Amino acid sequence: MGVTPIRPGELAGVPLGRRPAEPIIEIDHVSQVFKTSSRRDHTALSNISLSVEEGAFVSILGPSGCGKSTLLYIVGGFVSPTSGTAKMKGKPITGPGTDRGPVFQEFALFPWKSVLGNVMYGPLQQGMNSAKAEARALELIAMVGLTGFEKFYPKELSGGMKQRVALARTLAYGPEVLLMDEPFGALDAHTRTRLQNDLLEIWERDRKTVLFVTHSVEEAVFLSDKVVMMSRSPGRIREVIDIDLPRPRRREELLLDPRYQNYIVEIERMFDDSGDNELPS
Amino acid sequence: MKGALKHLSPALACCGLLLTWQLASLGLKNDSFPTALDSLRAIPPILTDKEALINILASLRRMAIGFALALAFSIPLGLLMGRSRATAAFFNPLLMLVYPVPKAALMPIIMLWLGVGDVSKTLVIFLGVSLPVIYHSFEGAKAVEEKMLWSGAAMGLSAGERLLRIVLPAALPEILTGCRTGLVLALITMVTSEMIARQSGAGNILFNALDMGQYDTVFAMIIIIGAMGICLDAVFETIRRWLVRWSEPQFDMPLSFS
Repeated sequence: MGVTPIRPGELAGVPLGRRPAEPIIEIDHVSQVFKTSSRRDHTALSNISLSVEEGAFVSILGPSGCGKSTLLYIVGGFVSPTSGTAKMKGKPITGPGTDRGPVFQEFALFPWKSVLGNVMYGPLQQGMNSAKAEARALELIAMVGLTGFEKFYPKELSGGMKQRVALARTLAYGPEVLLMDEPFGALDAHTRTRLQNDLLEIWERDRKTVLFVTHSVEEAVFLSDKVVMMSRSPGRIREVIDIDLPRPRRREELLLDPRYQNYIVEIERMFDDSGDNELPS
Repeated sequence: MKGALKHLSPALACCGLLLTWQLASLGLKNDSFPTALDSLRAIPPILTDKEALINILASLRRMAIGFALALAFSIPLGLLMGRSRATAAFFNPLLMLVYPVPKAALMPIIMLWLGVGDVSKTLVIFLGVSLPVIYHSFEGAKAVEEKMLWSGAAMGLSAGERLLRIVLPAALPEILTGCRTGLVLALITMVTSEMIARQSGAGNILFNALDMGQYDTVFAMIIIIGAMGICLDAVFETIRRWLVRWSEPQFDMPLSFS
């Protein structure tokens, strides 16, 4: 169980020559054990193996407490696994790096920097001169639809706008993989839908590898090439499902598409069968 | 109307206080309690006296040096304590021991060791300012969101750069709150140190006048020291507001845009 490699041609809509080939991320028998406050061992992740192909949009889906965010933090290099290894392009991950860009549910913007200052931060850190960094930042701010808000401080922005800035800030330093940790989890339903649409539109342009953590079945199916279903106590992979839907995807078309509906019903049924959603978190 | 009242109210409060003082003093007819008018009249001679001005400026210089040294020492220490458990575990018990001790109570020992000159007085000011600044820097650094530091790490910032370029600015509002308390404490310890080590300074003028029974000068000095405190605090508050304008409540109304 666990790994379902994607064979070439399985991803509908991927143009020839841009077919995902090598795995960019390999997670090999990773386990994570925490000490709880009562000094007992809590197994957050148990023996996880997964590989993510370059250019794929992969969602990690599961109930709260299944360790899906922890798995993302291990790939980010923010947390070291208790056992097992995670590799990026064949090299073991030992810490954070500019090749893996996180986007957090909490936005984590620098509140003392304006929108422009936040987005320029990464390019400047990489040694780009300020004129170039500014040009790059303005381009990305336009891409996430925030032109005209460059001078605003994070505190002046709504949640949806903050997450747009966070996405632009991460894209600005050009990571090869985007690590998104329930990025739309703190937003209202309407904003969430808009950001999903916009993210997909941005992603479909350059097809960066994305690892996307969510607990929303619809969000996972709508966005992903592959959905990794996790169960909890302890956190394991219970199923990996390829989402064979054409791209570019448009919500209004998908909602009427029986294949889309089937994926959602099938995944929700699997979660219901395990009774996973009934457990207290 | 309301705005005008808001600007006038401090002036009105001052006038009310002076009037009450004047009437109380006239009623009590006590030598050691001069009238407000007499005390105010005693201010210009002090401020035009070269000797007195040199004394007051010396006080302010010691205060500025003590305050600056305290910030240079306390902010880095507080930030380190906030981000490193080992540092916090080492310094916290020490600070808990020192915190409740009135710093002026250490003055006699410090005088014994370092004399009655500038060094002792500056050291007492330094001690008085340090603790609130360490405490607030510590609390500010502790509260910095982990994910903000992770974002910085992913951009390639080293641990030292993260402390300087993420923890410091993120904790700045809290640090400056500590500095503001520290500034008031600097003024208090400045005057007390000069009362104990009577050699020069604003506190010395006050106590000399008391010894000589010049009560209007005593009260005039109290007014001058108080005014200095108010001015310093106002200047500091202006700087503080400008430095942390990004966290001020006027920005608390997010735009409605998804």
